Amino acid sequence: MAERSSFDISRLPGFATVAVTVFVLLYLPIAMLVVFSFNAGDSVAIWEGFSFRWYPEAWQNEEVKDVTFRSLKIATAAALISTTVATMAALGTTRRRATRGQTFVYVMINQPLMVPEIVTGVALLIFFSTIKVATGYQGLGYLILAHSAFCIPFAYLPIRARLEGMDLTLETAASDLYANRWQTFRHVTLPLVAPGAVAGLMLAFVTSLDDVVITLFVKSAGQDTLPTYMLAQIRRSVSAEVNAISTLLLLLTVVLLTAFFLLTRKRS
Amino acid sequence: MSETAVEARETRKVYGQGAAAVTALGGVSLAIRKGEFFTLLGPSGCGKTTLLKLIAGFESPTAGQILLHGSDITFDPPNTRPVNTVFQSYALFPHLTVAENIGFGPKMQGRPKAEIAETVKRMLALVRMEQMADRKPGQLSGGQQQRVALARALAPAPKVLLLDEPLSALDLKLRKEMQIELKRLQVETGITFIFVTHDQEEALTMSDRIGVMQAGRLLQVGDPRAIYTRPANRFVASFIGESNFLHGTLRGNEMTLDAGPVLPVEKGDNAPAAGPVTAAIRPEQIRIAAGGGIPAKVRDTVYFGTDTHCVATLSDGTEITVRLQSPVSGDVGLHPGSDVHLRFEPGALIVLPEET
Repeated sequence: MAERSSFDISRLPGFATVAVTVFVLLYLPIAMLVVFSFNAGDSVAIWEGFSFRWYPEAWQNEEVKDVTFRSLKIATAAALISTTVATMAALGTTRRRATRGQTFVYVMINQPLMVPEIVTGVALLIFFSTIKVATGYQGLGYLILAHSAFCIPFAYLPIRARLEGMDLTLETAASDLYANRWQTFRHVTLPLVAPGAVAGLMLAFVTSLDDVVITLFVKSAGQDTLPTYMLAQIRRSVSAEVNAISTLLLLLTVVLLTAFFLLTRKRS
Repeated sequence: MSETAVEARETRKVYGQGAAAVTALGGVSLAIRKGEFFTLLGPSGCGKTTLLKLIAGFESPTAGQILLHGSDITFDPPNTRPVNTVFQSYALFPHLTVAENIGFGPKMQGRPKAEIAETVKRMLALVRMEQMADRKPGQLSGGQQQRVALARALAPAPKVLLLDEPLSALDLKLRKEMQIELKRLQVETGITFIFVTHDQEEALTMSDRIGVMQAGRLLQVGDPRAIYTRPANRFVASFIGESNFLHGTLRGNEMTLDAGPVLPVEKGDNAPAAGPVTAAIRPEQIRIAAGGGIPAKVRDTVYFGTDTHCVATLSDGTEITVRLQSPVSGDVGLHPGSDVHLRFEPGALIVLPEET
């Protein structure tokens, strides 16, 4: 029978068991974190009843407010910078005929995805301390630059995916139809790239928001971001406050990634 | 006022430099008349699309000039030329609706909104796509996209419309329909059409005049009948339709075939006065007779539906294809090995110029 002969991976023995186990392992810890963020007691291990107390408590903590705003500031700046660079890179690599060395350019742009974060962290630490000595500047600029750099491939990939395979003659057609260079960019290139750029912006924002390794190396004293602050808190004592903050971060990420999915899915 | 729409003067286009240089167009001169349907016909890589790009302004010639209605536009950018293109890939803007695509040209020209709306409506009616105005190109079939591409290129009322193999992506039936549609649009709008194709049948059925190109050169320009009945050389004779080639020696208006018989001939343009020559004859111009004419031996017959092709060999081994109408029932009654005689009207055998 034809149905028997066709291969279907879901009919292999144990398929359902493996699938369910993987999903449980993936989501059970996160589910526990969310549940315990509503715990009435101090413990993160013993359930003492439902309460919202950790949310306002975390919000009233001046330190939490401080690091949250710093994280948002860095993530916004880094997302904008990396998306701008990534958009230009994507236009440069897709809106023209493929040339020799194209693959090399891809690898160069996606370098932060392959190089271990710890290497980038150490490299940036040494590089920035030279600049710090030379200029005396101590501000957030270093963190913003570092985050922009490793966010570029995250912004680049959805933009490139969006532009890839689009007819290369579209801009030629616009110029044939009396559009000058600026009008061609404004009415053809920009609208084509926009959904990809918004998706890239959100992905870069989320990536910057939860970075720990590179931030730890680059930050000066008093420049804790939300993730590095949470790490420090947990080292001292496990606080239920961190659960509440994590849950809120999770919510933000889910919202952004849902929007990302809606933007990048193929139009029917 | 000149009657010439587009003129190319000694136009050359060379890609690359030094040893890697490729001559796409080698000094082509051509005058296309106002309001005519002109086809550039040739195999891929013959330079026909390059010539189109030079007229559109997407490329600049290495040497020579391009004139539009008498004025030099050789180095004008494409957005200042009153010339529009229908692209092979259609190049419809995927983020705009059908109506917005058609209105793009007039909008960029800075026409008033009311006028644009009126133009779009007129163009939609012209290509019979009124129902599709609010669709996106991705929701249209190939033939519908083709119509939108046509309407978009016609909307700014160009002086010349360039068409770069626009029918090549369509299936046979749709292509036939669009050929008729294109011809109708050209007659209705009165705009000069320059159509590029490698399909000789398309060229013959649609064009007022055809320019046959090969290897960056223009070989012959003429109306379809002239191109078909009096091909300028062996390439034209074999590229447009099928031809049989006979070798022999010319003396006056008679040719002694290498296979023996002496035949009356018609001299093509630039044919030599005497000496060894090649002559061409179309398969459908030859009849099979019981006696007289050239003796030949049937090698094979091939059934094509309406036609049956008979391949016969002359005494010197030259193969001649004869196109016969298939009989209502049975076969043409010719069997491999049987002796036949080939006959044709005087004037059907054209002496070609010597190959250079």
